[in-house]
Order: sequence, then C-alpha cells, then structure tokens
Amino acid sequence: MIYVQDLKKEYRDEGSTLALRGVTFSIEKGEFVSIMGPSGSGKSTLLHILSFLDRPTGGAYTFRGKSSDEMSDRELARVRNKDMGFVFQSFNLLSRLDVYDNVEIPLLYSDIPPARREALVIEAVRSVGLEEKLHSEAGKLSGGQKQRVAIARALVTDPDVIFADEPTGNLDSQSGLQVMEILASLNEKGRTVILVTHETQTAEFAQRIIRIKDGVMESDKAIAVHRIGRGHLK
Amino acid sequence: MLFRDAFKTATRSLSHGKLRSILTMLGIVIGISSVIVLMSIGQSAQELILGQVQSIGSNLVIVIPGAPPRDRGFSPPASAQGIVITSLGERDVDALSREPSILAAAPLVSGQAEAVYGDNNKTVSYQGITALMFAVRNFTVGKGLAFTKGDVDSANHVAVIGPDLAAALFGPYVDPINKIIRLKDISFRVVGVLAKGGTGAFGVDQGTIALIPMTVAQKQFLGVSYFSTIFVKGDPAYDIDFVKSRMTSVLRQDHGITDPNKDDFTIRTQADVLSILGNITSILTLFLAAIASISLVVGGIGIMNIMLVAVTERTREIGLRKAVGATDGDILQQFLIESVLLTFAGGVTGIAAGAAIVGLIYFTLTTFFPSIGWVFAFPLRAVVLGLGVSGLAGIIFGIYPARQAGKKNPIDALRYE
Repeated sequence: MIYVQDLKKEYRDEGSTLALRGVTFSIEKGEFVSIMGPSGSGKSTLLHILSFLDRPTGGAYTFRGKSSDEMSDRELARVRNKDMGFVFQSFNLLSRLDVYDNVEIPLLYSDIPPARREALVIEAVRSVGLEEKLHSEAGKLSGGQKQRVAIARALVTDPDVIFADEPTGNLDSQSGLQVMEILASLNEKGRTVILVTHETQTAEFAQRIIRIKDGVMESDKAIAVHRIGRGHLK
Repeated sequence: MLFRDAFKTATRSLSHGKLRSILTMLGIVIGISSVIVLMSIGQSAQELILGQVQSIGSNLVIVIPGAPPRDRGFSPPASAQGIVITSLGERDVDALSREPSILAAAPLVSGQAEAVYGDNNKTVSYQGITALMFAVRNFTVGKGLAFTKGDVDSANHVAVIGPDLAAALFGPYVDPINKIIRLKDISFRVVGVLAKGGTGAFGVDQGTIALIPMTVAQKQFLGVSYFSTIFVKGDPAYDIDFVKSRMTSVLRQDHGITDPNKDDFTIRTQADVLSILGNITSILTLFLAAIASISLVVGGIGIMNIMLVAVTERTREIGLRKAVGATDGDILQQFLIESVLLTFAGGVTGIAAGAAIVGLIYFTLTTFFPSIGWVFAFPLRAVVLGLGVSGLAGIIFGIYPARQAGKKNPIDALRYE
C-alpha cells in the first residue's frame, strides 16, 4: 500500500538541511509499523511525507499505486480526508467545541451527506468509550480522554491508515496504555497504523520497527507481538 | 465543504468571541449609520427646499438680463458676475403684460443694504418692486399690509420686511408696523411683515429681505432706470413652455433681435430652477455620504485587523482542518464568511441605528422647530446601499486575512505555539 524509494527531503530555509537522505521501505495494508529515532532524526518529516502533509524533494512515494508527485494539493487533501486519520501528540482538539463537533470536523470536508454524519460521529465516539462525554466541552476533558477523542476523530471517516505522531507523549502511563491498546485493536480490525515515537516500549506495540537516524534508515525489523496485559509503559 | 457547514462553522467561531465580534462590528455600525443619516438629511433638505419652491407655483417665469449660457448647465447670472446689463426696461414689462398667455409681469431691482432700528442692525437684501409683485410671487403679508401702486408711483418710503429681519430688528416684543427703520441712511416706515414661509420663488430666502417701492430703489438707491429681473406669472391655461416661447418672441421683437444666438436675456422657469436646485442638493447629499463613508473605511480596516489577529490565533485550528482534508479554498471560505457576517451584521445594525437617529431628528425638529417644516425622508436606496456596502466591505477587508489563512502550511500551522 505504501512504497517509498530513496526518499529525500531537503529544507532550504537558512542554508540547506537534509532531513531525509534516501529512505526506502514499503508497508502493506494491515501492518502496524513504528518509526523510531532520536530527536532530529527525520522521523516526523517522514511521517509528514507519508501522510501527504508535505512533499518529498527527491525519490518516490507511492500510496496505493499513485505517486504523490502526480497529485495536486486538492487531491492530497482529499486522500488525507478519505483514507488517512491523524492522531497528534498535542491532541489538536478545538477546546471550545464539544466532543461531537470535534469528531465531526473531518466529515465537514468529506462527501458524506449531513444526514449520515451523526451516526458516524456517535459510532466513532462509542468505539473509544466516550459516548457519555459526547456533548462535553473538549477543553474540559482529561489528557487521556482528549487523545481518545482525537482517535475518534481519526476514525470517523473510516480511513485505511492511521498516522499517530507521539500519541502518548503528553499522557500519563495509564492513559498512554489505553491509547496504545485502542490503536492496537484498530490494527487488529484491519487498519494500517503508522506510529512515530522515540519510546521503545510504545514502539513495541507494533509488528515492525523502522529506526531512523540522521535522515537515514538504520534498521527495519519485525518484532514479536504480545500486547495483551502490557502494563509496562512509563 | 458545503456552504451550510462553512456558515455554521463561521457563526460558531464568531459566537465564541461575542464581545470582540460586537466591538469589531462597531466601526461598520457607525459608518453605515452615518451614511444613512446624512443621506436621509440630504434627501429631507432636498424635499423641503424643492417643496417650498414648488409651492410658489409652476407658472412663474423669470427674465434676467444677459445671454443664456451656451451649454445646458447652470451658470451664475451676469449681475452676479459683476457685469451690469441694462437690457431689461419698462418697455419689456409693458410688452410682456400685453401678451395674452401672461397674467402679470412685475420688475425687480435688488441690492444689499444695512437695515437699522435703534441699536439693532442687519445686512439685508433689499428688493425694489412694484405692487403687482406681491401677487405675482404669492407673497403673503402676515402682519400689516403690502404697499400699494400709489406708494410706488409716489416713491413713498415704505417697506415690507421679512419675518426674520423683523425679529432681528425689533425682537419678540416690539410691533414692527409703522416703526421707522433706516436703509442706506434713508428712513422707511414698515407697513407690513411677510408671513413665515422660508424660501421664496426661485430659492431666494424671503425671511431677511426688505421690499421697497421700485421707484425708490431705482432712483434713490441705485440711480438706474433698468431692471435686474422681471417676474412673470403665466396663465395656467397655457403650457409653461408655450408661455416661455411667447415671452422669447415678445422680447426678441422688443429688442430687435433676429438671430436667436444673440439673445440679450435669459428666461428661466420654476422647472429649470427646480432642476438646478435638485442637482445641487443631490451633489451635496452625495458629498455628505462620501464624507461619512470614510468612517466605513476605518471600520473596514478594523475588521481586517481583527481578522488577521483571528487567523494568527487560530493557526493550529487551520493546521488541523487542513490535515483532516480542508483545502485552501475551504479555509478561505470559512474566514471570508466570518468577515462578511461581521460586516453584514454591522450593516443591519447600522441601518437600524441610522433609522432611529433619523426618526429622532424628525421628532426633534417637528416638535421643537415646527416652523422649519422638516420632512421625513428615509431613502430606500440608502438601505440597499448600506447592505451592499457592508457586505462588500466584508469581502474587501476580509479577503486578505482569509487568503493568509488559506495559504498556511499545515505542518507549520500544527506546530504553531
């Protein structure tokens, strides 16, 4: 589903910085992949390119057989809306809106008719166990609840891939574990999950870990999966 | 994104900062209400002036010396330009009086003089007229009497004065009738005071005039034998244009003019004057509206400023919306709807405030100054203009911030602290 070959990204703001220096890998549908690396390694840049939030400056990226080079900004936005879901470290909820309205946001930019939206929002919120908070103001929720709302928002358009950028970074260990278990269960139901993290314990929820350092892929290894009962997140 | 959703999102954003939205709107409210009030006052003044001039009667025509202007526009009469033209005389008045389509013709000379009574004085416009002029110009003498043909023939020093002049010279407690005033150091006995009526024929204010016998004005004030104007009252049975054409023929014959391009007189009807006055007041109204619209521009800049602040404050929101599928156009649309909603709501409020102020002005003037005869005018075009301009201001002043929002890079926007 995702194919990356010799991917490069150069920033030319003040001088030239090569964030990615030729990365090659592929991800199949239904995989749970962690991208690990220290700060400044290029892992977030890679996630941004994979999720169509940014474009590479070299190499090729193909999503479902279509190169990002061939797609206009409008087409990229459409793919992000329809096929991709996003979970951010800082949740990015609109705190003045309630849970319902936050989860509904991606639907506003989709082709889904207004009459069908309510059911989809309720279903997504229920899937993260927050149906009793449906009309609570997002700003008044706990960190763990906020991230679960963000996951519901990522799920509401029923995307194939979920990109999670340090999803446990702002959470306590208990909430982090809950969030990772939700992501793992989504993967078990067939969704592809691509996770960026610098925490080994979080990364080990995946079936495969790609390690990046200084813009170069260090390793790409499959790991044994034993998620149930894991309570060892920091 | 459906327009309905964009509208809902925009209204929700605005309602979350109610006080800020109201304060932002205030500039537009003041701008639109100023335009409404000034346009309304302009139209009221126009209707008042034209109404008063029309009340004199549409069959009044004047003849002034000098050639008519070559273009169709208005130019000041030769006398006002300091040119003395002596082409109108007694013979013309007689000839016009004999014309069957004319009921009466009355000449006039005029000038400025200082009117003095006791310690009070006021610079006035005096008019030397014949007794017939009272009928020709529908002068109503409110107190006392008009002077007579005998007074004119005998060059008696009598005067009929305007009500404002009477008030200025005599105050509220002294009866002006039979009092002696001085004009150009010549004593005149006040025999009558004109009724309050505001503007007289051809837009001349009759409140401060002093009417004196023609013979006195010509011989003792000016030392001339010609007239500066002849007022003619046409027979209502005839069309006014026919009367005008007959007058032209009579005067050309009288003056021995064969080439129409060499006329040494100008004939103006009330319609001509109404048209000129209408043009002047319209220009004045537009001028007032243009001044008021400056506040609209200031209000618009306020909207732009606040929208730019809102775009910066909501950078992360923009980043999120773009990440989950919003296009540049979706974001632009949302912010543009917000700015148009702000200005449009400001416009509607401004129209309501303007209407209230116009109503208050009308109430005040008709209650406390009924003699002005103020008329209520609330021009619908001002309402349409107000709504149109406010909507347009939202687009003009909102497009830049909205474009800034739409162009934001989602990654930078999501990282914004």
